[in-house]
Amino acid sequence: MKIRTWVAACALTFVALPAFAGEILVSAAASLTNAFKELATQYESAHPGTKVLTTFGASDVVLRQITEGAPADIFASADQKAMDKAVEAKAVDPATRVNFVRNEVVLVVPADNPRGIASLDDLKKSDVTRIALGNPASVPVGRYTQAALEKAGAWDAVKAREILGQNVRQVLSYVERGEVDAGFVFATDAAIMKDKVKVIQTVDTPTPVVYPIALVQRDGRAPEAADFLKFLMSDDGQAVLARYGFAKP
Amino acid sequence: MNGIWVPLWLSLKVAGWATVLATVSGIAIAWGLSRWSSRWCDVVDAFLTLPMVLPPTVTGYYLLVLFGRRGWLGEWLQSHGIELVFTWQGAVVAAAVVAFPMVLKAARAAFLDVDHRLEQAAAVLGVPPTAVFFRVSLPLAMRGILAGILLAFARALGEFGATLMVAGNIPGRTQTLSIAIYEAVQAGNDDTANTLVLVTSATCVAILCLASWLVPSGRSGRRGRSSRRSAS
Amino acid sequence: MSLLVDIECRLGGDDDGFLLRPRWRTDARRVALFGPSGSGKSLTMQAIAGLLRPDRGRIEVAGRVLFDSETDVDVPPRDRRLAYLFQDYALFPHLTVRQNIGFGLRRGWLNLHGRRDLPEQAQRWVQAFGLVTLLDRYPAELSGGQRQRVALARALSTDPGLLLLDEPLSALDAGLKARMRDELAQLQRDIDIPTVLITHDLADVRVLADEVFHIAHGEIQGQAEQVVQA
Repeated sequence: MKIRTWVAACALTFVALPAFAGEILVSAAASLTNAFKELATQYESAHPGTKVLTTFGASDVVLRQITEGAPADIFASADQKAMDKAVEAKAVDPATRVNFVRNEVVLVVPADNPRGIASLDDLKKSDVTRIALGNPASVPVGRYTQAALEKAGAWDAVKAREILGQNVRQVLSYVERGEVDAGFVFATDAAIMKDKVKVIQTVDTPTPVVYPIALVQRDGRAPEAADFLKFLMSDDGQAVLARYGFAKP
Repeated sequence: MNGIWVPLWLSLKVAGWATVLATVSGIAIAWGLSRWSSRWCDVVDAFLTLPMVLPPTVTGYYLLVLFGRRGWLGEWLQSHGIELVFTWQGAVVAAAVVAFPMVLKAARAAFLDVDHRLEQAAAVLGVPPTAVFFRVSLPLAMRGILAGILLAFARALGEFGATLMVAGNIPGRTQTLSIAIYEAVQAGNDDTANTLVLVTSATCVAILCLASWLVPSGRSGRRGRSSRRSAS
Repeated sequence: MSLLVDIECRLGGDDDGFLLRPRWRTDARRVALFGPSGSGKSLTMQAIAGLLRPDRGRIEVAGRVLFDSETDVDVPPRDRRLAYLFQDYALFPHLTVRQNIGFGLRRGWLNLHGRRDLPEQAQRWVQAFGLVTLLDRYPAELSGGQRQRVALARALSTDPGLLLLDEPLSALDAGLKARMRDELAQLQRDIDIPTVLITHDLADVRVLADEVFHIAHGEIQGQAEQVVQA
């Protein structure tokens, strides 16, 4: 009898975990990691008693977690396509969808630039063997990169040398460590490691790099979530984002 | 369908080579340890068993530090035209490192189990030490070692964390079954993921069947394999 | 054939250990080392075979120095040209009788092939011990007496200069013991090879030795000459 009570008690703690008052879970694209962590801290100090939890990854992957039932309250994606998928899956409340920052895709190389790359054309050189980019199937920066390179006529050359990253931060890491000769990341990511990677040029994307954000549609969504979203869109929130290189939408 | 057979072939190729590497080094080192009597034996054993206990991402990280383009060994290897990161050879190394402890532990136990007197008898009969190893010690330890080799192969086949870090996810080159499944799930390709999972499961079942045919558990069969321990 | 053993070896811990200090020499063709268990007879035998390295001393067989701590000579077991018959025979369980007997005749990394004929010098012993019908059996399938004969054939096939017998009859039951003892005695008469026998059984000493040394607590206590009864 005693054992059954124990088992029941343990089971209950597992079940009871998600619903905690005063907690917001933000699931966001990997490129927002540093900016959102600071926003979370700021919000928490302005609203004591509320905790802001964050989780980051490639937008599609993060969305997948939400559609599979992860108890997120806010979803911030790096491109419209991921957010469209979210709307289609009824994972977010379309009425709350709003664009909140703008970014750019850049071509970066390791700080010492061992292959001497000075432009997109240089990527076609024979001594350039590895170029990192996000996996277009699941990573927004990969999608932007592919579209941009197709427009510039450089896609075939890059694809032949591609090393796919699972998210933009992994691409950045490959470049920073010198495992690849060049890579495509967001300007904001390159800024995080400005002494370890060198930006060669901005890449012109057919669609502008605009990040949408929305409230997740689920029962038990934290009531403070809408408030956090408002903070993000406010002048204070935008100032933090600007400091990391994000432009206004 | 191509997306299924290529990862399967890659997985078998990588796991196969990794098992060969792990087996040769595992047997050699286990033999050395069983013949070297010193308290350092257990320390070395524990150190070499680390990859079995460490999280694969940690093992992968150490391998990257060692073999990356700027790594300690990586720079030297590069000057000889050998690259391990983002190559299937790198996947082999990662899988071999995590599979190695399986062979080491099994072999060490198997060698300790061999009646030392048989090795002594062989020596007195005039046979040199290496020949004694190949003709007496190894055959008698083979049963136990085989079990370790099978475990090593299974571990190498399922390797994911360290392989992903070292070899990356490059279809046709380093995208093994486990990594292909991971990518399919991430990209939301559930159908592909389901097929890959089925293929992987079927492969593992086939290997288990092959294993029980090669190393029958139970009666040792017609060969009187049990080394008789004398009463003295 | 002359045999000289003068060694010292400390085994086990410093306080509790066992000091092995046999010193004996003999010219007899059939020698026995007689003593209770734990007296150090097996250890002495292992030292002669090269399986145990003494701390210091000297071992000489037929004028050839096998071990000398002063001149740093330590001939490895495989080069000592001795034969050692272990108490439980130490037959290789994974090899057939044929492969066991031919074992010492190959120095390579591969065992003798299962079906191939044994070289001439081994055939002689197969015939002598009546083992022809057993050649394809495995040791586990043999009786105690048969195992001993196979072990002897294996040892003698390498043409040794000295045969060391470690309690050769203790693994046999009483009835078999007497018969095998006589067989061994006959063997000793037939072959040219000197033997050193260790045993705790007086009957063995009477039948199988010309000279006997008593050993106890690691030291030779005394010697007695024997008149072999016909």
